[in-house]
Amino acid sequence: MSSHAAAATLDPHDDPTTTTGIPNKKLLMWAFLASDCMFFGCLISTHLIYRLHPPPGTPSARQVFSIELTSFSTFILLMSSLMMALAVNAIQKGNLKSMRWSLLTTIFFGLIFLGCQVYEFRNFVFEKHLTITNSILGTTFFTLTGTHGLHVLIGVIWLTAMLIYSFTGRLTEKQSIDVESMGLYWHFVDIVWIVIFTAVYLLEYI
Amino acid sequence: MSSPATTPHDSTDAHGHDLAQNRFWIFTQIAMLLAVITGLELVTVYLPFVAWILITVLVVLSTVKFMFVIFYFMHLRWDKAFCTILFFIGLVLAGGTMWALLKLFGAEASKPLTSAALAPVASEVRAA
Repeated sequence: MSSHAAAATLDPHDDPTTTTGIPNKKLLMWAFLASDCMFFGCLISTHLIYRLHPPPGTPSARQVFSIELTSFSTFILLMSSLMMALAVNAIQKGNLKSMRWSLLTTIFFGLIFLGCQVYEFRNFVFEKHLTITNSILGTTFFTLTGTHGLHVLIGVIWLTAMLIYSFTGRLTEKQSIDVESMGLYWHFVDIVWIVIFTAVYLLEYI
Repeated sequence: MSSPATTPHDSTDAHGHDLAQNRFWIFTQIAMLLAVITGLELVTVYLPFVAWILITVLVVLSTVKFMFVIFYFMHLRWDKAFCTILFFIGLVLAGGTMWALLKLFGAEASKPLTSAALAPVASEVRAA
């Protein structure tokens, strides 16, 4: 085994065959996440700007939001991030069985998060009468959290596809970069929620 | 009886296993820490302090959570610096855009005009 190949086996974070020394898939994912930061930055700014000048008749966000449910969702998403990190750790060790269980738990937590969001949206629309069209708060809130929810849904579909793929026997330690790239996406969804939880929900209670 | 000879490959495997085991505990501890910080954030909003102190505390706590996730769960701590630079370019651009927009729309001149404020102007227009 050449020294370069040995190094590649030892450290899954490096790829000596590329110019940057970083696997291309990982580089692509980081570039995408950097661009997604700007996308979510604009959506969060829009929400905060309209909260600065709420037009007359805008419902009070504090009366609409349920901080208990949102805190639970935040905890669930943090735990899903832990399971995702453990899945990446497992595939880098070549432990496929452990990776499958970690992926399955991540999917489970992702589905709980989505379930909480669907419940929250239903509650806002039918109980609190806040819709995407009847107030500026509804428009910015549903656009922001809905876009985040869509990211979570895409993540869950990706995780499920990877879990199914792992049973074909083609996913090995050497393809750990595929799981790692997916993990980067999932953790990004988590960090966006960390910002949304503070900027959109918690600030309303001050 | 002599101990079995350890090949470089065995040593590498053992080192890799230790590293993976270490990371398992690091990730678990960080997840617990993040959960505790989330609890602290929740308590903070009910504390009887002035708004700017509470907002500062919330921003600091969120930043700590954010940094723990990107540097440990997203492996930036162990990755090449270029990944960090690439991500922070996006982050700084996003943060700068947010700051600029909030400053721009938070200014006095950006406050939306109300119908009461527009009434004198409307009557002047009608008179002209």
